[in-house]
Amino acid sequence: MPTITYTQPNGTQQTLEVAEGTTLMRAAVSNGITGIIGECGGQAMCATCHVYVRPEYAQALPEIREDEDEMLDCAAAERTDRSRLACQIKIDAELAEIVVDIPAGQL
Amino acid sequence: MTPQAARCPFHGDPETNRADTGRDSGGQDQQAANHSRQASDYPVADWVDVAALASDPYPIYARLRAESPVAWVPQLNKFLVTNYTGCHAVEQDQEIFSAEVTGATMTRAIGARPMLRKDDPEHSADRAPMNPVLRPKSIKEVWGPVFEGNAETYLEKVAEIGPKEADLNRDYAAPLASQNLIDLLGLKDVSVEQVRRWSHDFIAGMGNVLDDPAIWERCDASTAEADRLLEELIPYYRQTPDASMVSAWANSGLPTSNVAANVKLTISGGMNEPQHMVTNMVWALSYHAEQSALVLTDPSLWAAAFDEAVRWQSPIGMYPRETTQETILEGVRIPAGAGIGVVVASANRDAAHFGDSAADFDINRPKRPHLAFGSGVHLCAGHWAAKTSIGQLAVPMAYERFPRLRVDEQRNESWDGWVFRGLTSLPVTWN
Ligand code: HEM
Ligand code: FES
Repeated sequence: MPTITYTQPNGTQQTLEVAEGTTLMRAAVSNGITGIIGECGGQAMCATCHVYVRPEYAQALPEIREDEDEMLDCAAAERTDRSRLACQIKIDAELAEIVVDIPAGQL
Repeated sequence: MTPQAARCPFHGDPETNRADTGRDSGGQDQQAANHSRQASDYPVADWVDVAALASDPYPIYARLRAESPVAWVPQLNKFLVTNYTGCHAVEQDQEIFSAEVTGATMTRAIGARPMLRKDDPEHSADRAPMNPVLRPKSIKEVWGPVFEGNAETYLEKVAEIGPKEADLNRDYAAPLASQNLIDLLGLKDVSVEQVRRWSHDFIAGMGNVLDDPAIWERCDASTAEADRLLEELIPYYRQTPDASMVSAWANSGLPTSNVAANVKLTISGGMNEPQHMVTNMVWALSYHAEQSALVLTDPSLWAAAFDEAVRWQSPIGMYPRETTQETILEGVRIPAGAGIGVVVASANRDAAHFGDSAADFDINRPKRPHLAFGSGVHLCAGHWAAKTSIGQLAVPMAYERFPRLRVDEQRNESWDGWVFRGLTSLPVTWN
């Protein structure tokens, strides 16, 4: 099964095995991963699902669309070139494994 | 890859954003709820007095949270969910807790099912076209100047009325919220009074569970007026698109009946709440002089003041869902087809989530997610619009214009409601 590893700001890591088709946000919220809120349910309307993707996985990700780009500017924590919205990243055959860092704040 | 230069219009200086470091998102609580203990028969709260709810719901919410945060309330024919984890769990699961409630007076009132009474994917088809209009960039760049101009217009009227007579609800909050919504929707040739009347008639219809024919008559008349306008506007915006909501919907490929239903939903849901937030904020700051002094010396605190006021006195207190199957929520077994009342106004005072000071107004409290705009796929579409038009413009501009703006204790204020709650009048004065 594909895996997602979430890294907390203090370095602790949690790895989830997830079904294909789920998003990084949905998996986090339904498994109680601290620090990802996902207030808008994945519509790129809230930016409370901001994560930093480890560079080695960046290649496998879809392009940042305009709506995601605009909302990333509104994330509470600093935007970097690793920033993505967890709700816009779907786990699929292309992306069987990913490691992300959770920012210190989402609000 | 990603442009760094752009800045969110809502975060002036990223350094000043207090982080919610190390606090959980509520997700953990939800997990606990999923694995909750074996359910027993459900608690019944037959002591809930509906009239008392409308005059001051908070003591009743406190007792419900303490005794039975998921309880059957026979007077309302619903399970009320009053704690944070329970409300949050409902909002995360549209398959079990559907927004498509049976016998929806909302659908009857506005003639067709709007997005708020649909689940995904139908919901998303209606909603996606207007999200770009309501994201922060469009709100700030296109609509900010419009909201600001409207605020100036009505501040002028308040000044003419003067500090002995002015009612912040009647003279400022109500007409301003109506004009802002008219502009954002892109309605043309309608007055503030007309759209306020439509809004009130639709809301009365949505609440007309007792089928009062007089209420339906007014509601149907307003629906007909609004539909007539939209019959002209939709083709107009197909020819001449602009940045408004009706334009976005008109060009989305959705059938006219969907567009009309969602415009009427927005007229019902996008006016009273921002209106109530103007008066809620001024009321809260009037009775918390130290915090008022803080925010007046440090304008970057307006965002926190708005957020705290909408948590503390949530304009939408409760909204409905319906179970599609038997389920267990917070240890309580709920049958299929049951009406659920998601009492976000109560969740927003839950000490288990906000700490012992949950009942206090405190703009400096640590940031925690609240549910005043709902959460999940139905999260308020207008939340950036409300934060900007009210929290960044209408209220700060009123304090700038009127030195020592405050509640006039010589005259009477009044609060009303629990499903929707706000000040029905707020006499104010200034120096
Ligand atoms: C402070 C002001 C406001 C508050 C407290 C508020 C609150 C809410 C809440 C709690 C919901 C979710 C209801 C549910 O899930 O059943 C909602 C939905 C909605 N709100 Fe607001 N609202 C406000 C302002 C606005 C404004 C200004 C607009 C106009 C653009 C608006 C348009 C909507 C729409 C269209 C929905 C339905 C969203 C959907 O079904 O996906 N609201 N609002
Ligand atoms: S969940 Fe709201 S932007 Fe991702």
